[in-house]
Amino acid sequence: MLKDSTRLDRAFQALADPARRGMLSRLAHGPATVSELAQPLEMSLPAVMQHLKALEESGLIRSEKKGRVRTCRLQPGVLASAEQWLVDRRSEWEVRHDRFEEYVMELKDKEKDK
Amino acid sequence: MTDKLDLVLERTIDAPVELVWKAYTNPEHLKRWFAPRPYEISECELDLRPGGIFRIRMVGPDGFDTGHGNAGCVLEVEDGKIFSWTSALGPGYRPAEMAATGCESFPMTAIVTFEDAGNGKTAYKAVALHANEADREKHEQMGFHDGWGTVAGQLEEYAQQLAAEA
Repeated sequence: MLKDSTRLDRAFQALADPARRGMLSRLAHGPATVSELAQPLEMSLPAVMQHLKALEESGLIRSEKKGRVRTCRLQPGVLASAEQWLVDRRSEWEVRHDRFEEYVMELKDKEKDK
Repeated sequence: MTDKLDLVLERTIDAPVELVWKAYTNPEHLKRWFAPRPYEISECELDLRPGGIFRIRMVGPDGFDTGHGNAGCVLEVEDGKIFSWTSALGPGYRPAEMAATGCESFPMTAIVTFEDAGNGKTAYKAVALHANEADREKHEQMGFHDGWGTVAGQLEEYAQQLAAEA
C-alpha cells in the first residue's frame, strides 16, 4: 500500500507541471526523441532533460538511448493508476452508476449486432 | 430530501429507455455492473413488484463473501419509469436486521427514475437516501476502500505484465 502511495505521489508531482503535461500529451501519440519533445518548447535542453527525468522517475514514461538519440515513450500503467485514484475518490454510488452506463453502452452495441 | 443525507446522481445516457430499464432491473444484467471490480455478484434475486425480494451476494478474489446477503425489499416499480427499493425492509415489508459491519450495516433506500430524453436517449436519476450523515459517509467511503483494492490490483496486474514482457 505504501509503495502504491509513493508511486501515486510521484505521478501527481510529475503531472503538476504544464510543460510535463505537454510532453505527456505528445507522447500519447507515440514515442518521441528528446529533441522532438524539446522542439515546440521555449526552454533550454537541460531544462527539458530535467522535466523528462522527473517524468521518468515517476514511472509515467520510459526512455532508451540508442547511439546519441534518446527516445521516450509513455508507460500507461502509472497514468491509469493516477486516473483510477481520482475516479475512486467519488462515492461508490457514483462509481456504480459509471459501471452501469458502461454496461448499457455494451448492451446497446450487442443489440445493434443482432 | 437533504443534501447532507443523500447521494444524488443525474445523468443522460445515450441509449433508449427500454434498454436502460432492462439493464437496471434484470438480475442477469444487474450482476454485470453492480459490484465494484474485482468483486462480483455471484447471486442476484430481484422480484420486480412492491414487496418483492432484492438480494445480492457479492464475492471477491480476496475471499470476501457477503454470504447469501441480507434480502432487501422492492418498494415501487413502474415499468420504464421508476424502480425503488430499500435495505431497511426485507421481502414482504418485514423490518430487516442490519449486519454488524460492512456494506449491509446501514439501511438505505434507493429511488431510481427514468425518462425518455428524446433522440434515443434516457435521462435518469438515482438517489440514495440514508438515515443519518454517518450512514451516508459510510456509503461514500465504500467507494474509497474498494477503490484502493482496485488500484492495488491493477498495479499488480501491470507489474506481472511488465515482468512477462521483460
